[in-house]
Amino acid sequence: MGIVQDESGRRRFFARIVTTVHAAIAGTLGVVLGGAAVSSALGGKDESWLPATTLGDLPPGVPTPVVVGVTRRDGYTQVIDQRTVFLVRTGASNVTALDSTCTHLGCRVSWDREREELRCPCHGGVYDRTGAVKAGPPPAPLATIATRIDGGQVLVRL
Amino acid sequence: MKRTFGRLADWIDSRTGWRSVRAHVLDEPIPEGTGWWFTTGSVVLFLLGVQFASGVVLSFYYVPSSTSAYDSVRYVMEQVTFGRIVRGLHVFGASFIVIAAVVHMLRVVVSGSYKKPREVTWISGMLLLLVILAFALTGYLLPWDQRAYWATTVTINIARSGPFGEYVAGVLRGGPALGALTLLRWYAAHVFLLPAALFALTAAHLALMRRHGISGPVRPRPQPSQPFYPYHALKDSIVIAGVFALLLTMAVTIRAPLDAIADPTNASYVPRPEWYFMSLFQLLKYFPGPLEPVATIVIPGVVIGGLLALPFLDRRPDRHPRQRLAVMAAFAVLGAGVSGLTYLGMRDATASSRDDTQWNALAIAGQEFARDERCMKCHRAGGVANVLDETRMRKEPRWTLAHVRDPEVIAPGLRPAPAGGMSEAQAQSILSFMREVSGGDGTPAPSAQERTAALVLGRYCAMCHMIDGAGASTAPDLSSVGARHDAAWLRMWITDPESVDAFASMPAFGTTLTPEQLDAVVNYLAARK
Repeated sequence: MGIVQDESGRRRFFARIVTTVHAAIAGTLGVVLGGAAVSSALGGKDESWLPATTLGDLPPGVPTPVVVGVTRRDGYTQVIDQRTVFLVRTGASNVTALDSTCTHLGCRVSWDREREELRCPCHGGVYDRTGAVKAGPPPAPLATIATRIDGGQVLVRL
Repeated sequence: MKRTFGRLADWIDSRTGWRSVRAHVLDEPIPEGTGWWFTTGSVVLFLLGVQFASGVVLSFYYVPSSTSAYDSVRYVMEQVTFGRIVRGLHVFGASFIVIAAVVHMLRVVVSGSYKKPREVTWISGMLLLLVILAFALTGYLLPWDQRAYWATTVTINIARSGPFGEYVAGVLRGGPALGALTLLRWYAAHVFLLPAALFALTAAHLALMRRHGISGPVRPRPQPSQPFYPYHALKDSIVIAGVFALLLTMAVTIRAPLDAIADPTNASYVPRPEWYFMSLFQLLKYFPGPLEPVATIVIPGVVIGGLLALPFLDRRPDRHPRQRLAVMAAFAVLGAGVSGLTYLGMRDATASSRDDTQWNALAIAGQEFARDERCMKCHRAGGVANVLDETRMRKEPRWTLAHVRDPEVIAPGLRPAPAGGMSEAQAQSILSFMREVSGGDGTPAPSAQERTAALVLGRYCAMCHMIDGAGASTAPDLSSVGARHDAAWLRMWITDPESVDAFASMPAFGTTLTPEQLDAVVNYLAARK
């Protein structure tokens, strides 16, 4: 028994319906499943003002590392990140905060008291006390973090 | 551009031969007269694809650990975009597959498609049905909620009734008791072993189907066959679109069930299987004690054995149902038996179920107690501990009870704990409240009298009594006290127990409770029948 070979418009019409139905189902599933798969990656960060230290504890002009506990939702649970921030007192009531993350590949920088510079231990990135790149591979200055003073308390926005 | 794509397609075809594969798949000859009932297999295949895709997405978020599984499922339901729909597709899709697979099997039976030369195709299909049921069984445990925990407890205990039952149950549990190891091995079975079996059997089933061709109508027609694509593919696509529309509608409109977190100490929970296992669950009730293996092993074994052997029991070439009355009658009896048992099981389950949308009285009281300043000192927005309305129960119930009684239990000396713990009854009430919060149901709005009664029960009665599975158990359970005593008796008893029974050990509450409190608690208890 042979197969009927029909290349008529009817066949093309049926084929078009089949393609449309499958495309509609695949599109719907793609949106729902794809949306669910990527949604957690697209969420923004919640930031809030957190107390870091008091103004009196900061020597003028010297980057002082301060560890701030940041509560963060991590999927189904909550974690507390210990973030190190360099606070630099730049005036009577002015404080600049520098992120301790090297802009090269994300290692943590530390303050070298003798050379008076921030150094990255991974690939030799060097920053000055304002966070500007002095030497090494970092492509950009250290990120600054918003600060404000509230009754002698230094708050950072993390 | 079109020419470039055409040349690229030609090049890939010259290297892979994909056009001949496509032609082999799409040009399958379909006998004239092959109707809509022959779309059931494609529906099963489509639903398996949806289960696989939704399962992969769920696995991005699911954590197979007894301490995190429940929270990760809650996270999918509440935080992930479309997460509720994806879980709905997976949960309801499981039921859809069971229905579609059974309908497909019945189509094969009615049209006699299992007959020579398709015996092995039939057997591979039966094995696929068993694998699908195993998927449903293992997937049921994964959310680690009350349903999951208790239904699996029952399943493992059923396994104990068979030959080498204790060993089988031990392997299923993975440890001395149902716990983290059980969850891990059921998860491994669900995402590794069973999918491997499913892929192998599906490939075999499809290859055998192509080898022997579609059986077609029971009375073959003389006209030539048509290619599968697009003629029969159109029927497949229309039915698949209808089934998908129904499944998606259910996933969007109905919240896939998720009970409170698994709690082995909660005595009030009545375990129930998913509907497709309800007939087996009901069958157990008719074979108590030593006869249990009849329901758990013998009858299911005979049915499965009979189904597997069907092509060898019915070997005549006739395919028309009217010429195979014995087979039709056997399946009618089997269908009526399974349907009847399922109906009876569902009816009993409905009759004995508590209304899950209602909180129990102690939970209502617990919600009030949790607003106490001793709790709010830490459990508030911006406080050092989670807001209780949003807290998942990650701790053992005993830990929660101990913490409410003495808050410093959480971290001795680390931070000043509020002075003065709560009573045992209040701690039980807060535990009930947290169980309801973990269950994910909305907060109820009790009437003023219900609230007053709940507070009396939570402050005083739960010291000794249990109600709806919560509270202490040193005095009689109050869950259905209204069936034993009327309102007048309850009023006398609560006011002054010795006026009813000279040897009563319960203290009198006539002077402790206000008239409004007494009215409220008497009315509440009298209505508990």
